[in-house]
Amino acid sequence: MSDLDSPSVPDLDGASSVELRTSASPALIPTIRAVASDLAARADFDLDAISDLRMAVDEACATLVDVAAAESSLLCTFLVRADRIEVHAVVQTDSADTKVSTDTFGWRVLQTLADDVALEHGGNEDGTGSTVGITLTKHAGDLPR
Amino acid sequence: MTRTDPEYGHLVPLLERYAALPADDPGREPLREQLVRGYLPVAQHIARRFSNRGEPLDDLVQVATVGLINAIDRFSPERGHEFFSFAVPTISGEVRRHFRDLGWSMRVPRRLKDLHVSINSTVSELSQNLGRAPRPSEIADKLGIPVAEVLEGLEASEAYRSSSLDEMLSSEQGSATVGELVGEADAELDRVDFRQALRPVLAELPERERTIVLLRFFGNMTQTQIAEEVGISQMHVSRLLAQTLDRMRNRLDPETRAG
Amino acid sequence: MAEPATQGPDASPPRTAGALGTEVSHPRPDAALLAVTGELDTLTAPELDTALRELVAGPHPLLVVDLTGVTFLASSGLAALIQAAHRAEDSDRALHLVVTARAVRRPIEITGSEQLFTLHSDITTALRG
Repeated sequence: MSDLDSPSVPDLDGASSVELRTSASPALIPTIRAVASDLAARADFDLDAISDLRMAVDEACATLVDVAAAESSLLCTFLVRADRIEVHAVVQTDSADTKVSTDTFGWRVLQTLADDVALEHGGNEDGTGSTVGITLTKHAGDLPR
Repeated sequence: MTRTDPEYGHLVPLLERYAALPADDPGREPLREQLVRGYLPVAQHIARRFSNRGEPLDDLVQVATVGLINAIDRFSPERGHEFFSFAVPTISGEVRRHFRDLGWSMRVPRRLKDLHVSINSTVSELSQNLGRAPRPSEIADKLGIPVAEVLEGLEASEAYRSSSLDEMLSSEQGSATVGELVGEADAELDRVDFRQALRPVLAELPERERTIVLLRFFGNMTQTQIAEEVGISQMHVSRLLAQTLDRMRNRLDPETRAG
Repeated sequence: MAEPATQGPDASPPRTAGALGTEVSHPRPDAALLAVTGELDTLTAPELDTALRELVAGPHPLLVVDLTGVTFLASSGLAALIQAAHRAEDSDRALHLVVTARAVRRPIEITGSEQLFTLHSDITTALRG
């Protein structure tokens, strides 16, 4: 099993959690964004917010897959709360120097789509590898921008 | 022009006679049969263009013939339109719809198909009233159905949105979609019109290009078949064909290029 | 998409469920219409880019891209469209987009890129230019 199996257990007050692990391949991103879209629809997000979350998850995953190590998996955790969904996506990278650049068009789109985005560069807890992760939050809709 | 096309020219007066007959006239049936027989090569030609999609050609010809009959029934010569520019999109629309229905019937039950049409119209209505995109629960309230059904319908409309849109448009336009009306008619009219004006232009083309054009528009071959015949890739055929057609168009009517 | 190296009966590119469809037609002598179907993301954006390059490289004064068959548009696909609009602009042409679905309209709107295109809600209007 991979190092990604040691997640920091999130504070689950009233939230339901969905985890999805795939290989870090662009071919699997359509599946991940479909799950995101389905969760948002079931959480009664408005249709624009559903679209936005689907796109945001796509952008985040595409960004990560781009820098992922060859054998990396992509782990997506969705926390569905009453008024918002938090997504955390993470991949393994070859070196701690692997950086995601945030001056790209894709990143700008991601920032626009999500209500909140953060990038995390880190090592695994056992210190053997390096990871890059993106956390994003999307509200159910009607939030002033 | 098409009216004087030796293959179909004699049918034009029959079309006019057919359109003028009252619906209950006993003369209509034999006349219609004659027209269907006469224009059948057009339906066959269109059916062949779709024959690389895994459906038996016979079935496609049958579907195309249904489209042809619709076209004959609905055509009004007094509007001054060419029959081809009406028939070709009508026929290919019928064939396309056949493929769409195949897709739908394999994956989406009729109930969902209907549901997503009503969801789509409710979404636009609610968006206007609310000034924002509606939530699934709001759509459910409006339609008086459970949210679960809305979710099911949204899923279907997500995956099949483009075809549904085609369906909606096509209900007002015979069996053709708007895209087909403008696009396909042109392609087919090109084929017909080019016969007359093309000879001198064709003569100027390099041999390979000329072969490709001839095979495509007069041999009714698909790009893939031509690729095989000429020994280049299908994409290469596609590109050469597009370039050559552009070139020929410029030669044929330089004045329209300004528009 | 690269030109397939091999030719012959099986040279057609493999089709998967998510594959992009692109089809060029000329509804008017002065117009080139690129109809796109499928999902536009990092997987399919290169294919769209190739089709758009060929579209803009052509001589037609009126360039129309029909996106009504597109069910998803990511920044990679949008970037290809924006680049094509810039290239068209270099030759004093506009890139006309036919857009109906939320999945396509939304990314164009939120990125403010609608000023770069001429947007239409149906093909007939788009072809009027």
